[in-house]
Amino acid sequence: MIAFDRVSLALGSFSLDDVSLTIGKGDYYFIVGPSGAGKTVLLEAIAGLHRPDSGRVLLRGTEITALPPEKRKVALVYQDYSLFPNMRVIENVSYGLRVRGMRKEEARAEVAPLLERFGITHLADRYPGTLSGGEQQRVALARAVAVKPDILLLDEPLSALDPVTQEKFIDDLRRLHREDGLTIVQVSHSRREAHLLATRMAVIIDGTLVDEGEANVVLNAPKSREVASFIGVENILDGTVTANDGGLATVAAGGLAFEAVTDAAAGEEVTLCIRADDVVVAVGDRPQSSARNTMAGTVLRIAENGPVAEVRVDAGVELTAVLTRRSVRDLSLVPGTPVTLSVKATAIHVIRSFS
Amino acid sequence: MKTGTLSSDPLRGDGEAAPSWWRERGRRHIDWCTAGFCIMGGLLVGITVLALANMATAELADPVHLFKVAASSEVIGSILLTFGAGASAVLLLILFGTPLAYVLARSRPSRFKGVVESIVDIPLILPHTVAGLLVYLLFMRRGWLGAPLSEVGLAFEDALPGTIVAMLFVASPFYVNTMREGFEKVPVHLENVARTLGAGTFTTFRTVTLPLSLRHMYSGAVLAWGRAIGEFAGVIMIAYYPFIISTLIYYSFTTDGIHTSRSIAFTVILVSFGVFYLLRRMTRYLGRYDDRV
Repeated sequence: MIAFDRVSLALGSFSLDDVSLTIGKGDYYFIVGPSGAGKTVLLEAIAGLHRPDSGRVLLRGTEITALPPEKRKVALVYQDYSLFPNMRVIENVSYGLRVRGMRKEEARAEVAPLLERFGITHLADRYPGTLSGGEQQRVALARAVAVKPDILLLDEPLSALDPVTQEKFIDDLRRLHREDGLTIVQVSHSRREAHLLATRMAVIIDGTLVDEGEANVVLNAPKSREVASFIGVENILDGTVTANDGGLATVAAGGLAFEAVTDAAAGEEVTLCIRADDVVVAVGDRPQSSARNTMAGTVLRIAENGPVAEVRVDAGVELTAVLTRRSVRDLSLVPGTPVTLSVKATAIHVIRSFS
Repeated sequence: MKTGTLSSDPLRGDGEAAPSWWRERGRRHIDWCTAGFCIMGGLLVGITVLALANMATAELADPVHLFKVAASSEVIGSILLTFGAGASAVLLLILFGTPLAYVLARSRPSRFKGVVESIVDIPLILPHTVAGLLVYLLFMRRGWLGAPLSEVGLAFEDALPGTIVAMLFVASPFYVNTMREGFEKVPVHLENVARTLGAGTFTTFRTVTLPLSLRHMYSGAVLAWGRAIGEFAGVIMIAYYPFIISTLIYYSFTTDGIHTSRSIAFTVILVSFGVFYLLRRMTRYLGRYDDRV
């Protein structure tokens, strides 16, 4: 639907460098990256609020690099919602229709079902300053959807909401994407949100797009160490391939030998990414398992987080495993408990140094 | 805009309980810092009050003369002319200064922008006679602008347009800078959202930016008007006639002496004080919105 072809742009001391990406119709596209990476600028560039210094922006194959935002059929919702403080809720939501020339009463009638859908009908005559964060969020979303955009752009829409409101809002977004078939581009630094919503995603760091593709591929098979680190892979180990037997390689990392599936040749330097979910913890004598990698270690610390617990183990290198709190109790894990860790060879993602 | 009363306001006269810092366990507790600031600020206000009291004492001792001067057609006409010329200058400022202020508020810092900002501020730093001379040289009958404009019947020397243009020149920084500050306070995100919702640049300005800057527009206009109607040196260089109030007082001082000129001045003080008080009161009701978003 919309594509960036080697787009670069400089804004003061900040710049986007040579960004290429494609957002297809019906995608729920996530742009993730650390604070200050340029995510919002990229979103605004999609909206047409910044004109690239070089490169092209294409909409359904037609170049729209110089097309102003009001003609792009996109709608933008900022992190701070940016409701017009001098207008009532009804005026905010119908703003897009009014500036397109629709009469006041007609526009109000048009947005009435939207107010109903987002549960804000009773707020119609209120000013934004009197609304809660969640209410403002819903008004902002209704205002954006009211103009029937081709693409909905969301700038960290969940970051200012409490957890309960976040869950409700995630449901709203999911419905907009699945039921309305809306193409959504969302800026976020939350891996969890990406897991829940994204179909495709891009990782941007220091103004450069470092990874892009299907969301599950980017999240589970990152292209580089910095992407792996940003998307929250818990165990990242640098090592060297010592042998490769038909795609099953042995990698020396941190004094241990890991078996992993990769084409990397002996002598090649690689980075191993192991999700904490994929590390199995066992106690007692060496258990029988099909996992190719088993290692003995000692529990260093346990951090409980809701129903799960992160268990940090010293196995020569420090590795993190995620268990349910019940498993921690059943295994009687405490700091100092000797354990055996096992990881399947197929659960280790190998990043080759040239990739 | 958010407004509020400082809880430690020592000048509250609304009968509410004294703030906690003011009384402590039944004993008076004095915040020496605030008290010191009040005394220092009071000295400044005191000088103005003293000057007004001095003049008022003399004037109120002869109310018949005061009334005779205040009710004269020459004084009333001059006051109306001054206020009208000032209002005309402000209208021109709103028309031309508002776009300039917006451009200055939204453009990125650059050397060119710095030069333009300095040019806007020139009337602030120049002696008023120099400002008047600049206006005179440009708009006199042989001036770069005065010559072609006089050919189409618009004369500035000793004419109302000259008064207005001099007022416009000296008052412009007050309006432009206040308006620019107002535009800068409107988040760019609001404009961005309006653009993506389908509003063009001017529609965004008209429907979002300008309504949110109305208070600054009003304050800037009042400031500029006040500066304009008080101008003397700048105006007298190009338009000694028709008499605006400052030139009338000067004329009266040099021809009739202090008695009459003081009565005119006292009349002007009363009228101006009343008008500005009303204008300031009106700012409470204009362009207010709740910005907790």
